Amino acid sequence: MTRYTFDGKPENRPNSSHSQSPAKPEPYIADLELIQAVNLAIYLRRPLLLEGEAGCGKTRLASAVAYELGLPFYRWDIRSTSKAQDGLYTYDAIRRLHDVQVKQLDPNLSYNPSDATNYRKFGALGEAFNCKDCPAVVLIDEIDKADLDFPNDLLTVLDREQEFTIPETNEIIKPTPGNEPIVIITSNKEKGNLPAPFLRRCIYYFVPFPNNTERLQEIVNAHYHNQKDNSPKTPPSTKLVEAAAEKFLEIRNAGGLFKNPGTSEFLDWIEALQNFASKPFTASELKNSKRIFFPELLFKLRADLQKYVA
Amino acid sequence: MNKFDAETITTNIFQRLRKSSFNIGVNEYIAALDAIKGEMGTGSLEELKLILQLLWCHSLAEQSQFSFIWQTETAQLNEVITKTPKQVLQTEEVLETIEKTLPPQQEQLNLPSPQLTTPSLSPLPVRTPFVPAQIEDFPELRLYFPVTRRSLAYLWRYLRRPVADGPLDVLDIKATVKQAAQQGYYYAPVYRRREVNHAHLLLLVDQDGSMTPFHRFNRDIVETAQEDSTIETVSTYYFHNVPAKYVYENSHLTNPVPLDQVLAECDSDTSVLIISDAGAARGYRRMERIRATTEFLVTVKQRTNLICWLNPMPKERWESTSAEVIAYLVLMEQMNDDGMSNAIDIVRGSVV
Repeated sequence: MTRYTFDGKPENRPNSSHSQSPAKPEPYIADLELIQAVNLAIYLRRPLLLEGEAGCGKTRLASAVAYELGLPFYRWDIRSTSKAQDGLYTYDAIRRLHDVQVKQLDPNLSYNPSDATNYRKFGALGEAFNCKDCPAVVLIDEIDKADLDFPNDLLTVLDREQEFTIPETNEIIKPTPGNEPIVIITSNKEKGNLPAPFLRRCIYYFVPFPNNTERLQEIVNAHYHNQKDNSPKTPPSTKLVEAAAEKFLEIRNAGGLFKNPGTSEFLDWIEALQNFASKPFTASELKNSKRIFFPELLFKLRADLQKYVA
Repeated sequence: MNKFDAETITTNIFQRLRKSSFNIGVNEYIAALDAIKGEMGTGSLEELKLILQLLWCHSLAEQSQFSFIWQTETAQLNEVITKTPKQVLQTEEVLETIEKTLPPQQEQLNLPSPQLTTPSLSPLPVRTPFVPAQIEDFPELRLYFPVTRRSLAYLWRYLRRPVADGPLDVLDIKATVKQAAQQGYYYAPVYRRREVNHAHLLLLVDQDGSMTPFHRFNRDIVETAQEDSTIETVSTYYFHNVPAKYVYENSHLTNPVPLDQVLAECDSDTSVLIISDAGAARGYRRMERIRATTEFLVTVKQRTNLICWLNPMPKERWESTSAEVIAYLVLMEQMNDDGMSNAIDIVRGSVV
C-alpha cells in the first residue's frame, strides 16, 4: 500500500497522475502544522475540518493536496438545501419513465431503460468511493451552510464502515480497502458549532491569517510564479509587495473593522496595484500617500469603508 | 531527553482530557495510537503535542485548555527523566530542558486598541462584527447552560403542524408511475404541494426581577424560536411576574399590548409556552401571585389547551413556593433538555 505524504510542494506531483486530478497547480503556502494535519488526515483517513476567517485559503488547500499527490479531486459545494444523499448519488426515475416511452417510438435510443444503472449519477463522495486504484480527495465546502442535520447524516458514510446502498439499482458502493477518500471539510461557523459527534471524528485545524510581511510576500510569489506561463500578468516588484503588505497589516491590526480583509482580498489588491492602472504603483507612492488605493477591494461594509475613505 | 514513551504520554493525556470533559472517545484514543504506530509524532514531544492537539481539540478554547494539561503532564515527565540518570545536573541544563518543554508563550490576542478619533457621523454597523472563534472562552468563565442553543434549535423542529399548501413542486414518483400505467403512456410528471409548517407559537416570557439571571436563556429561547426554527408564526410577549391586562412587545417591558388583543390572535391550535420561575427563584408563596396567575391561565384556557409552563428553576426548588401550586394548574416543566422536549410535546398536543 502506498503511503501518501503531503509536503506543500507542487513539484512533487507524480508523472502518472489520475485523469481527474486538477490539471492546474494550486499555489498554496502551508504552515508546518497544517502539513502535519493533512498528513495525519491522510494516514488515519479521518476527515480534516478547517475553520478560519473568510478568505484565508481554506477551500484551496484541498485542490493543492490533490494536485501535489496526483489524486482525483471531487468538490461538493454545500448549499442551504443540500441533502447528505446528494453527495452520494441521485436517481432520475422520471427520465427512465420517459425513456421507456421514447424507446417505443425510437428504438435507436442510446439509453437503455431496462438498466437502472443508466439513471443513477454519483455525487462527489460516490465518485470518490468508486475510485478503485487510488484514494480520491473530496472537498466538502462550507458545511455550515447546510441544514442542522446535515453533518449527522454524513457521519455514517464518513465513519469506519464507509459504504452505502442504492436501493434503486441494488448496488452497494464502498471504497477498496486502503483507498478510502481523503475528506477535507471547510466551515466558518455561520450557524454556530457543528454537532459534537461529528466534531469528535474530525481532525481540527484553525487556519490563521498569515500575520507577517514575509509570509504575505511568499504567498504573492507562489501566486504569480504559477501563473507566469499562460497569463500576461506581470508579477509585482518585491518592494511594492512589501509596502503593500505593511499597509495591509497596519489596517488589519488597527482593528475596529467589521469584516477583516483576508488573503484573497490581499492578492486582488496587489493585482490591482500592479496591473490595473496603465503603470504600476510604486512602493513610495503607497507609503507616502495618505489615501488608500482601491479601498473597494479591501472594505466590504459601508461602515468600514467610511472609516478609511473620508 | 530524546527518549520518551509516546504511548504512555498519550494514555495519560487522554485520561486527563476525558476528566476535563473533552469530547473524545475510545475511537479517538485508538486513532492517536495508530498515528504513533505510523511514526507520526514520535520525533519529538512538540510533534506529539501537535498530533494529539489536531486529533482531540475541536475549538481554539479546547486547544488552550489542552496546552495547559500538556504542560503539567510533560513537566512531571521531565522530573522523572532528569532525576534518574544523573544525580547532579547542572542547574543551567535543568533550566534548559524545562524551557524546551514549556510551550512557546501564547501570542497575545490583538484586541482592537481604542482609537482616538474626532467624533464624526458614521452609519450604524449593518450587523455585529463576525469574529470566527477568535474569542477564547475560558472554562472558569463559562456560563451554565441548561439547554444549549443547538438543542433548542433541534427541539423546535418537533413543533410542527404540516399542511400541504406550499408551492406545487414536489415530484410524486409513485403517482407518476401509477398514472403512466393507467393511461398506458407517460404524459407528464405528477407534482404534490410542498408541506409547510403552520404552527403558531405564543411565547410569554417573564422578564426582570427574579428572572434577571435567566435573561440569557430567555434570549436564546426567543431567538432560536424566531430564527432557527420552521415555526410559521412566533409571537413573543414579555411580562413581569404575572401576565396582567397588558403584556409587552419588548424585553425592556415597553410597548404594552392588551392581553385580550394577543389572545384574540390565538385559536385552539395555538401553542402557548410560558417561561417564568413562578416564584421558585425567591422561594416564596404568595396568594396574590397564585390568584393572578390562575385568572390568567383560565383566560388562556378558553382559547387553547396547548399550554405549558417552562420553569428555569430545578424541580426541587418548586416545593413550598407558588410554583408548586401553579404546577397543579398547568403542566410545568423544568428548563433542561428533557423538560424542554416534554414541553414541546405538550404544546403540540401529544400529551406526555
